[in-house]
Amino acid sequence: MANPILLSNTMEVMDIDAILLSLKLAAWTLVLIIPFGVWAAHKLIRLDKGKPWIEAALALPLVLPPTVLGYYLLIGLGGKSIFGVPLVFSFTGILIASLIVNLPFAIQPIQRAFESINPEIREAAQVSGLSNWQIFRLIELPLAWRGITSAAVLTFAHTLGEFGVILMVGGAIPGETKTVSIAIYDKVQSFDTSGAGALALLLLGISLVAIAVSYGVFGKSSHYRRAKTNA
Amino acid sequence: MVFLVKVVTIVGLRRMLKLKISQTMPNPLQIHLECEAGQLHALVGPSGSGKTSTLRTIAGLSQAKAGKIQCDDEIWFEADEVTGIKQNLPPASRSCGFLFQQYALFPHLSAIENVLIPLQNSLLEKEERRSIAHEWLVRMGIQELAKRMPHQLSGGQQQRVALARALARQPKILLLDEPFSAIDAPTRQSLYKTLADLRRDLHIPILLVTHDLREADLLADRITVIDQGISLQTAAPQVLFQKPRNARVAELVGINNMFEGVFHSGELRWNNSEQLFHVLDKGKIPPNSQVAWVIPADGLSLLEQPSDTSVIAKVIQISTLGQVAVIQMQLNHGEHTIVWEASAAEVKRLSLKVDSAAYIEIDSSKIHIMPLRIINDPRRFTN
Repeated sequence: MANPILLSNTMEVMDIDAILLSLKLAAWTLVLIIPFGVWAAHKLIRLDKGKPWIEAALALPLVLPPTVLGYYLLIGLGGKSIFGVPLVFSFTGILIASLIVNLPFAIQPIQRAFESINPEIREAAQVSGLSNWQIFRLIELPLAWRGITSAAVLTFAHTLGEFGVILMVGGAIPGETKTVSIAIYDKVQSFDTSGAGALALLLLGISLVAIAVSYGVFGKSSHYRRAKTNA
Repeated sequence: MVFLVKVVTIVGLRRMLKLKISQTMPNPLQIHLECEAGQLHALVGPSGSGKTSTLRTIAGLSQAKAGKIQCDDEIWFEADEVTGIKQNLPPASRSCGFLFQQYALFPHLSAIENVLIPLQNSLLEKEERRSIAHEWLVRMGIQELAKRMPHQLSGGQQQRVALARALARQPKILLLDEPFSAIDAPTRQSLYKTLADLRRDLHIPILLVTHDLREADLLADRITVIDQGISLQTAAPQVLFQKPRNARVAELVGINNMFEGVFHSGELRWNNSEQLFHVLDKGKIPPNSQVAWVIPADGLSLLEQPSDTSVIAKVIQISTLGQVAVIQMQLNHGEHTIVWEASAAEVKRLSLKVDSAAYIEIDSSKIHIMPLRIINDPRRFTN
């Protein structure tokens, strides 16, 4: 039997609220961003005009300092915000921030997956009498699922680890905006090194597994690519 | 098997594909051809000549600026440069079976699932669809491979699956885009046989794009020669090889013995020589015009002794390939080279050797004369 006092101590050290909040944020981000990512990636591969600019805009979160992104989000979400209600320092606010910073992680792997489908495959589906929706559902989506899985894993891991933008937009309100990475920062500031260490180790583990899974998924896809070049 | 034949053969209905497309941009295309049900029509020409573009335009995968594509009484595409597009059915509504050079199987689906894809929108029960797909695999001789994934199949097997897929929804026409070029020779032979059987059983127009003249000669009822986007001549293979419409066609179909001359009221004077031939004047060639002329192999014979009408030539090369020998001879002081194919036995009988003399009899009734090619103006040959 676990000692209830020891268990509650561990819970405190681990800051279970922050973990649950991070998981909730990652789950909502995934649910909202993956369908959008699939849609956007599918649109992007057929786009001619303005494609470099749109791709550049979607990749911005990769290169911008979190403070710059956070600043614009504070402006956009503060006051009455573009949505009519103030959203800074709220879960909805950090969810919107999370969606924006994750755009490149969600879209790029899916776009690469769609791009790697031989155009003749799509043409073969057209002459087989399939509608565009059927081609998407029966041919393109199953061929791109590895890219979609990879996007999901990367988004999930990245959401758990996002720090700067969340701090600027959400602050550190326990149970509302204080995610694991912010909890680590808080604990270090208050010299709770063992608490910070436990959370850091947790994040490290999750990130390692996520990236390994993502690489594994891409590694496996190579036999399709080989089959395609043989063909 | 009996069930299948009933499904794919529509008795009493002659299918016919009529095609007329023209555009100048982005690449010139002037193609005019008709293909009847049960006919295999080959499109031949050098790479980049527009053969594949033509096929893709028929299937709706690319679009011409102007023209009309009609299958039976159904207009698939109609447009002219002035009024624009009147009709343009999407590929899915055109009922074409299309075979790609690289097979283009769906890599995530097994062989039978690939064949089931075109049956997706049929009103048949799932079980019936499965049995149709299975029948097609049986017909292609690959039923035991039904559950294999494309990457587990050889090139020839993949092309058989692709053929089953192309035919599964009973298309009104079958379009084949260099389907055998990536396949090894023995497998190709067996695919030729399959295709010949299909042509007999299907009663639909079949168009085959190929750059392989021997393949076209072997398989096709009619051949259209395409060069720089323009259909130069449509004819049965034997007519095409014997009577090319012009020098460019003769060149493209690989006719060996082609020469130039001047034609004047029934007399053909061989350029740079004293030779004069009497050729039937059909009144198509203006007097005193420069022409190209060809002499088919059966219009040439080699004699042991010179005769009054024979010309003397010098053997410059004998290449023997198995039982066949190709002899190159020069005549008219090295101005002209004639190529003659014979059996190895014939070469021995005539005791032909390099540098020995040969006496060639040219049967002037077999000479075919035609207009000269004018370089950079292929349009000249469209009439």
